[in-house]
Amino acid sequence: MSKRRWPTAIGLMLVAGLLATACGGGNTSTGGSKKYVVGISNTLTGNGFREEMICSIKAQAKASGVVSKIITANRTTDPSGQIADVRNLISAGVNVIVMNPSDRSALDTVIKEASDKGIVVVTVDQGVTSSQAYQLYNNQVKYAQLGADWLFKTLGGKGNVVEMRGINGVSADADRHNGFMQTLAQYPNIKVVKETFTNWSLDPAAQQIKDILGSGLKVDGIWTSGIDSTVVDGYTTAKKPYVPTIGADNDGFIGQLINLKAQGLGGAAVTNPPTVGGAGLSLGLAVLQGKSEPHLVNLDPQIWDNVSSSGLSELQNHYDPTLNAYYSVSYQVAPWTTYTKADLIACADL
Amino acid sequence: MKAAARVSRRIPVGPGIARFVRRNAWTLGIYGLFVAVMIFTISIHPNYGPYEIESLVVGALPLAFAAAAQACVVIGGGIDLSIGAMMAVANVLAARYMLHHDFQTAVLISLLILVGGILAGSLNGLIAVRTRVPDIVVTLAMSFVWGGVALLILAKPGGGAPDAFMALSSGNLFSPWVPNGLLLLIVVVSLVWVPLRLGRLGLAHYAVGSDRTAAFRRGVRVGPTRVFSYALGGFFAACGGLALMMSTGIGSPLAGTIYTLSGISAIVLGGVSLAGGRGGITGPIVAAFVLTLVPADLILTGTDPNLGQVIQGVLLVLVVMAGGLAPLLRARAIQRRVQAG
Repeated sequence: MSKRRWPTAIGLMLVAGLLATACGGGNTSTGGSKKYVVGISNTLTGNGFREEMICSIKAQAKASGVVSKIITANRTTDPSGQIADVRNLISAGVNVIVMNPSDRSALDTVIKEASDKGIVVVTVDQGVTSSQAYQLYNNQVKYAQLGADWLFKTLGGKGNVVEMRGINGVSADADRHNGFMQTLAQYPNIKVVKETFTNWSLDPAAQQIKDILGSGLKVDGIWTSGIDSTVVDGYTTAKKPYVPTIGADNDGFIGQLINLKAQGLGGAAVTNPPTVGGAGLSLGLAVLQGKSEPHLVNLDPQIWDNVSSSGLSELQNHYDPTLNAYYSVSYQVAPWTTYTKADLIACADL
Repeated sequence: MKAAARVSRRIPVGPGIARFVRRNAWTLGIYGLFVAVMIFTISIHPNYGPYEIESLVVGALPLAFAAAAQACVVIGGGIDLSIGAMMAVANVLAARYMLHHDFQTAVLISLLILVGGILAGSLNGLIAVRTRVPDIVVTLAMSFVWGGVALLILAKPGGGAPDAFMALSSGNLFSPWVPNGLLLLIVVVSLVWVPLRLGRLGLAHYAVGSDRTAAFRRGVRVGPTRVFSYALGGFFAACGGLALMMSTGIGSPLAGTIYTLSGISAIVLGGVSLAGGRGGITGPIVAAFVLTLVPADLILTGTDPNLGQVIQGVLLVLVVMAGGLAPLLRARAIQRRVQAG
């Protein structure tokens, strides 16, 4: 082979490789009652909440029996990237798009484009300003208020608290912070001695709680935006007495609330179901089938504390020791989801 | 690669063309790759039309500018890890001050933001040149500074811009097949880059990037030229922030962060040597379009998105390896010829 041929060969190999890899599964089967193609758009990968959300959409698609294909656009990106993804889903010919919007208003234009083409767009977990979208999400202001109110009341309306927030600059975090501050205003003797951003990731939260415990700061209670069991673990490792802690409906934290109660851990879990994904699909399919549904479904979060007997029984009902620490135990969103828990956990495609 | 190879067989035509092809082999290669990916896209999506073209351009525009920004700095022998954060600053400034204003004011604000981008880039460059702290350290530190500034300007996503301003990227003036964003990119690049590339400053820019000592001995003012490369990077970063504004219609303090690394991917794919002094700006821009098309194809084919990340990474390594192989083989061939006498 002469030297001139080499680059040609490499080029051909590259193109062939690209074609081969990209030709994954491209079969569109239509016919029968399975007539709808579902598009999913998500912009944060490697996150337990988002993975469970996608699994619930897949499980609901299977349970509905009317979905022929699911196309997933799932990568870590910004609103601009999500707009591109949604446009690609439109091009791919989907009938319904379930998305976790990365911004409140940035996606309005692309949602309008989709609606104009007859595609039903459902936004879950976070809200958008678009009037065309169907929206189904947890009330994040109330989420923070419920937990903060329980915490401040438990402390007798007096003491030092730490606020461990999510990602700075994200609307869900801003909403929760608003709710937290509104409740704080009603308790003049509660002082926020430290405010951190966990980025909803375990490592920063672990470091922050280590720093707080090492600093000698007097802390009477901790409110977390969902990175909860890591904080309790920090106390366990440092052999410090537990303080009342607020977290989300994560399996690990629920287990701690049940099992560490005897060791003095008081706390409460506030629900924030990732299964809004499946609920959103259920809503979208209902609209496609001609039913009239409300454009806004706001889920009311619940609080389960380990002090009251009713709270404790809720915790025990939802706890599953076989799951990961950050698997959310809000398996279903009534009355929307109809899949089985096994299908959700298996996270299988259609 | 394919196109480059095909053209390179025409070497006997004339020494001028041969030299051009040899010098621009990588850029021609990335054009070839773009055409190949485009053909593939159309083959899996027979209804590929104006809507899809517009999607591609609107999606690729911020990355194209980020790649252009990084290319300018890297060609000048540096690297700027704060490009994404500067884009975020430009983005939130635009969103905050364009809200409820008309198109003319928005354009005026854009011009001010572009000047601001030049100043911000110059500051990065000045610190790197003056303190002699390595570029990578200075710009990493500056990325936190600019990131913080963006959050100070706009704590959470918000703001807005007039529709006419957003139409600069998504609308079309002449034909639905030619979105405004593409024209905008071509106009900005030809107004800024082309005169520079042909002038003395461009020569100095490349000379400093390829060998600082040699450039200094040739009488090039190394310090100011390096600052200039950062200033130019800041200008394109500001363009990128405005492009983000055009695509989303809002400002987001965290929007730019992904563009620092994806911009570096684009310049590597686009044939800019990370050692400096080699490559151009069109290669990275076309690479930005390729990097935008690949995820779209993965969605259209229904490929597992997690596998998609692997495919993108493999593609990047393969292209860079292939690019490194060609000069190596050429050098061996020359050696063989010399040995043969």
